[in-house]
Amino acid sequence: MTTMGIVFANIYDSSLGELTNKRTMASLPYGGRYRQIDFSLSNMTNSGIRHIGIITKHNYQSLMNHIGSGQEWDLDLEEGGLEYLTPFAMGHTGSYRGKLEALNSAMSFLAQSNEEYVILVDSGVLCTMDFQKIIQAHIASGADITVVVKDGISNGKKQLDLAVKMDKENAVTDVAVDYSAGETYLASMGIYVMSRSLLMQEVVEAVAHNRYHFERDLVLHGFAEKGMKVAAFPFDGVALFNESLTEFYHNSLALIDPEVRHGLFGQKQTIYTKVRDEVPVYYGECSRIDDCIVADGCTLEGAAEHSILFRGVKLGENAKVRNCIIMQDSVVGEGADLECVILDKNVIVRPGAILRGTKDHPLVFKRGEIV
Amino acid sequence: MNFMKKHCVAMLLAGGQGSRLMVLTENTAKPAVPFGGKYRIIDFPLSNCVNSGIDTVGILTQYQPLELNEYIGNGQPWRLNRSHGGVQVLPPYAKSKKSEWYKGTANAIYQNIPFIERYDPDNVLILSGDHIYKMDYAAMLRDHIAKDADCTIAVRTVPIEEASRFGIMNTDDDGNIYEFEEKPKKPKSTNASMGIYIFKWSVLKQFLIEDEEDPKSNNDFGQNIIPALLNTGHRLCAYEFKGYWKDVGTINSLWEANMDLLGKNPGFNIYGEKGRRIYARNYAMPSTFIAKESKNVNCFIAEGCEIFGSIEHSIISTGCTVEAGAIIEDSVIMPNVTIEAGAIVRHAIVGEDCRICRRAVIGGSFLEGEQKQISVIGKAKVIESNETIKPGEIR
Repeated sequence: MTTMGIVFANIYDSSLGELTNKRTMASLPYGGRYRQIDFSLSNMTNSGIRHIGIITKHNYQSLMNHIGSGQEWDLDLEEGGLEYLTPFAMGHTGSYRGKLEALNSAMSFLAQSNEEYVILVDSGVLCTMDFQKIIQAHIASGADITVVVKDGISNGKKQLDLAVKMDKENAVTDVAVDYSAGETYLASMGIYVMSRSLLMQEVVEAVAHNRYHFERDLVLHGFAEKGMKVAAFPFDGVALFNESLTEFYHNSLALIDPEVRHGLFGQKQTIYTKVRDEVPVYYGECSRIDDCIVADGCTLEGAAEHSILFRGVKLGENAKVRNCIIMQDSVVGEGADLECVILDKNVIVRPGAILRGTKDHPLVFKRGEIV
Repeated sequence: MNFMKKHCVAMLLAGGQGSRLMVLTENTAKPAVPFGGKYRIIDFPLSNCVNSGIDTVGILTQYQPLELNEYIGNGQPWRLNRSHGGVQVLPPYAKSKKSEWYKGTANAIYQNIPFIERYDPDNVLILSGDHIYKMDYAAMLRDHIAKDADCTIAVRTVPIEEASRFGIMNTDDDGNIYEFEEKPKKPKSTNASMGIYIFKWSVLKQFLIEDEEDPKSNNDFGQNIIPALLNTGHRLCAYEFKGYWKDVGTINSLWEANMDLLGKNPGFNIYGEKGRRIYARNYAMPSTFIAKESKNVNCFIAEGCEIFGSIEHSIISTGCTVEAGAIIEDSVIMPNVTIEAGAIVRHAIVGEDCRICRRAVIGGSFLEGEQKQISVIGKAKVIESNETIKPGEIR
């Protein structure tokens, strides 16, 4: 069955503070060399979905710079391929309040396509997933909308955009939105499948009634008020919800755990990203690197433990970093000592500086800062 | 087709068998041999071209071209996927009357005269695909034009005692070449040819045609074309190159060139600012994982590796796994190799896709000043558990 994709690039921007100040959630760096959207796009192309719209709201310069024509994902196609759906791009609408309004302004993109189904993906949850399985399950179930869900996420504290409860036959018995659901609920991974015609119809109707919130006004409203059949597809692989700074911090360091690392990268599907011409990592005479993820282009003379070192990071002699995320091209000066710190791109830490965060509140330094 | 003129077109000779690299070039053309963790030898001349503003490159292939062709692809990694010009792989092909292999370096260019003519170039740069170096060909071209030379040959100074191993260019004080001696017994100077030539295209074309008509010719640049130009009073100039340059035609020189990348002040500084980098085809691989039990000192480790063992003074290429307790010293490990627990690899080059099983021992240690005998494991070989590969042994 033919399916097209929609990727929402800005969903939780506000909750990641400094890190999403000047970039979309989708272009948040992850795992040494990736951006979050690499996972969504790679899942799509690996599942044979080659016609994708990326819906952006603001700060999308770095995103467009990263993805370009989509060549790395083999999406620079004559037919289909990648389309950027930026606000104001369609003429009649400005910025939007929610995903339904965004889809409404992308209506001509949807209308001019000829795929039968649409898979809609947020960029906040990282996973390696075969979307064809979801689409096939959607078709087999005869559901109006299928939502991909994950167990073990709801804990009564974390607020979920959408949570569902299922009975023993995997039928959805309850749908809740913006709810700190308890353990009996499964969390939506922000991945939805609908037929293109139904999606268009529902979007037009919702927006006509001043409704803009996808989960509340389409999924919940459809389930509770309109008798729509909502199906849930439980995902059994690794799923990382990067919806807050602390989650992002812990999920980044989680890559050091082989189960998580192989769950994301050890699958048959390759995760593609923009490549950079970097030299392999140089480990100096006195370097000491323990339990780290290291990307190309680093020059390491100091010590790092349980940390993520992005492309082009420089670690000076006698520098120490522990439980840190050091993003692209940042420099840790000689003898500096960092614990539980996130350095955004191009940060310079002066020699001898001592920076301490905690695991619950990592210290964050914004792009280009000199500390 | 109406093509715009190109000032300078580069022709890269990549057809050589590289037989002195033995098992490493069994199924691979020499220019496609991996180097430095993520590169292949051909990345160096190709990147030099791009960084010198030359955007039209013909790559002449013949021996085992498949891997090389695939690697070059449309040239995108080197930004050579141009609408006009760009990179073109030029294998020998069947012409209407006859078909033939490339008989020699000059014949390879001769057979591609139509390709070069499409760009109507003033100058043609001839390169070979087996040297590791960074060079600004644009500076050499400026020198060539300023001196109004018919041919400019890049040279570098070698120690006089080694000069008899090279093609030596004897020059006057202005750098004009008056004599060329191939591997002279009694060298008169120390200007060794680097096998890099810039010719005026009109002159080269004429000499290629004449050379082809001579049945006794070996159709070789060094043996035939250069002497012919000298004998007819053409202006040949030497262009002195002072940077790092290494012919990686032998096992030992390939190993040495890899080791030259290491150290705080490396013999060959491969790093570069934007526009001066060495480009390579990058494969989508996750970042490397370095485990707590590993110890890595003075080494290069590329992406996509999982490292649990100890590595010293070595190059570990993309996609390798080094299990716990394995020891790698003074070695070059090519892409996608697995080194199992307890294996020891010293002074060795391990080819792509090999598996070195548990507790196997490869190579040995050498005293300071002692001639190092490098062990070599060919592509996709399996060295069984507890097996020993002696120093200098080729498998």
